[in-house]
Amino acid sequence: MSDTLSTAPASAPLTKWRPTGLFFIAAPILLIAVFLFYPALRSIWGTIYVRQPDGSYAFSIASYLYFFSDSYSLTNLGRTFWTTIVTMVLLIAINLPIAIYLRFKGGRLAVFIQVLALFPMFVPGIVIVYALIRYLGPNGLLQTLLEVVGIGGFQSPYLTPWGPVIGMVWDAMPFTLLVLTAGMSGIATSAIEAAQDVGAGRLRILFSIILPQIKNSLLVVTSLNFLGLFGQAFMPFMLGPTSPEMMGPFMLRTFSTVRDPLQAATQATIVFALCSVAGLAYVRSIAKRRAAELVK
Amino acid sequence: MVMKRREFLKGTAAVGLGSVAAGLMGKSALAAEGTLDIFFNSDTNVVEFWSSAIKPAFEAANPGTTLNLVSGGGGASMNALAERAFAALQSGTDPQIDMMEAIGPYHPEGAIEAGLWDDFSKLSLSNMSKVNPAVVDNQWSLPYRGSQVVMMYNGDKVPTPPKTFEELVAWIKANPGQFAYARPDLGDSGACFIERALQEVMGRDESLFTNENYSDEYAEPMFTKLWALLNDLAPSLYKGGEYTGGNTPSIQLLASGVITMTIAWSDMALVAMNEGVVPETTAVAQLQDLAFIGGYSSVLVPTNAANHEMSLKLADFLISPEVQNKVVSDLGGFPSINWSEMSPELQAKFANVATTSIPTFPGPWESHLFDGWYRNVASNLAQG
Repeated sequence: MSDTLSTAPASAPLTKWRPTGLFFIAAPILLIAVFLFYPALRSIWGTIYVRQPDGSYAFSIASYLYFFSDSYSLTNLGRTFWTTIVTMVLLIAINLPIAIYLRFKGGRLAVFIQVLALFPMFVPGIVIVYALIRYLGPNGLLQTLLEVVGIGGFQSPYLTPWGPVIGMVWDAMPFTLLVLTAGMSGIATSAIEAAQDVGAGRLRILFSIILPQIKNSLLVVTSLNFLGLFGQAFMPFMLGPTSPEMMGPFMLRTFSTVRDPLQAATQATIVFALCSVAGLAYVRSIAKRRAAELVK
Repeated sequence: MVMKRREFLKGTAAVGLGSVAAGLMGKSALAAEGTLDIFFNSDTNVVEFWSSAIKPAFEAANPGTTLNLVSGGGGASMNALAERAFAALQSGTDPQIDMMEAIGPYHPEGAIEAGLWDDFSKLSLSNMSKVNPAVVDNQWSLPYRGSQVVMMYNGDKVPTPPKTFEELVAWIKANPGQFAYARPDLGDSGACFIERALQEVMGRDESLFTNENYSDEYAEPMFTKLWALLNDLAPSLYKGGEYTGGNTPSIQLLASGVITMTIAWSDMALVAMNEGVVPETTAVAQLQDLAFIGGYSSVLVPTNAANHEMSLKLADFLISPEVQNKVVSDLGGFPSINWSEMSPELQAKFANVATTSIPTFPGPWESHLFDGWYRNVASNLAQG
């Protein structure tokens, strides 16, 4: 792709200075700057330029040193990574086959499956959480059904690390599927037919034609899901174990119950730094696609 | 803080719309004349009680006044509202808050010193003399209803409930996996359980814990004893030491029959039993040696409230015998005024309760206690 870029004709007209365009985006950018960037920067600044016991302010990274030397905080960070990665892997594993199915099969069944997969988008999280507790919880519907067909020994995922994973997979499924199906629709049927004509098997088509073409969609899904899952507070709060906590509930608790705004801001800054890696991957993939589109 | 994408989008949309609306409507963004904005930290049963028992009577007695009852949405949101009131005080603007229910005056830091909250000891409310001094926690909080934590259990499996904390511990150990309590920061019922345990390891001496006397050095040896007791108990709890995510989840576990006993608020337990969401054999009991900690819910009035005079009038109305009788009869709560001021029928009916005082636990201890619990008790979970 970089070859095509360097050999492309200069796209001067597109990058020309256009004040009207800037005018249109000025309002949202101003809103973002005032309501997001400014408070966020203030709070990050507040974690390194700290009020001292005598009332003066000085540079200090003590709160960061505390976080990285506190085994409790580090365990929570580790649990957050575990939950995020397991959830992301499950999301791709579940949604990729559905997206492939929807791309190649039409008809009523496909429409039904798509509606079913997008359904979680229209159900509020709190409803899901309580429904999941009733369904998956101890002595819940699932356990009863399993016992009816003679399967005993069901261990409920409620209040275990798998509780929030299940809740978050449900919650993030529609978004994941939407992006993947959008990526799939860009694959030309002719390319696949051509591969079939020269004798490529199904797996070969998957790995050599489909996956390379939806690489961008996978990257977008992975990075955006990472951002969403890493900071999740609600699902782990309601479905997860008491400890280790995920960073979301941990930050909330540090802020509101422990009443330690400095440490909470430090935790938030660390989460922000980790998430910006995913954000950067997303922005890069978008920028790359833009550049490719400009060339076309 | 990082938010979920969907929430983020909603949030930014709301901010955008809000600023547009504020710009269009100009003055109407200010609190309306004669409308008292009251924010609740208590659950919906309390808000319903206000709208059916307090609002009509107060509005009838004060024509032109409307009570706007708003569910605050939990501790963190209530704290944010208190911060808004404080910020409004510093900038001299209208906080659009006339009263806050069931939160302490200690957040945000410095609010008390700056004079954010009315000091009821310096005001002369006509009913103030009727308030039972034992239930007043601090001079900024005006207590108006009490409730208490109880043991809630399946009467089929527990014919005689424990009478002392020692008996409760013995029962938990004799019935492994059958008892659960809520995480202290998520449901006050769980907080009350560990606070009662703390009193137990300190010889049930309530005077050791006050609003002013917390220090790390003072509390450390007490906490060490407490962690030992709770860790000893943990393997006998539900799932070998798992804790529920709040008052309702505790009752839910009991309702599904997974556990036999839990700790619950008296009013929530009574509502669950009345509505039939728990089996008919469910019962409640109180410890006889030293009762579980209860609490009085109070109201705070910001001194910069737009309808300040009317807010104080409402505060005075809350502690009138008229409302206090309803707190007992309609809400299943305890009155904050002396029993001698209450209606004779209620006095007779609750003669046994009237004599027992409700132990309380100082708020400033809780943040240290809860965080210590997470680090020393919850982190020892078997499943890791």
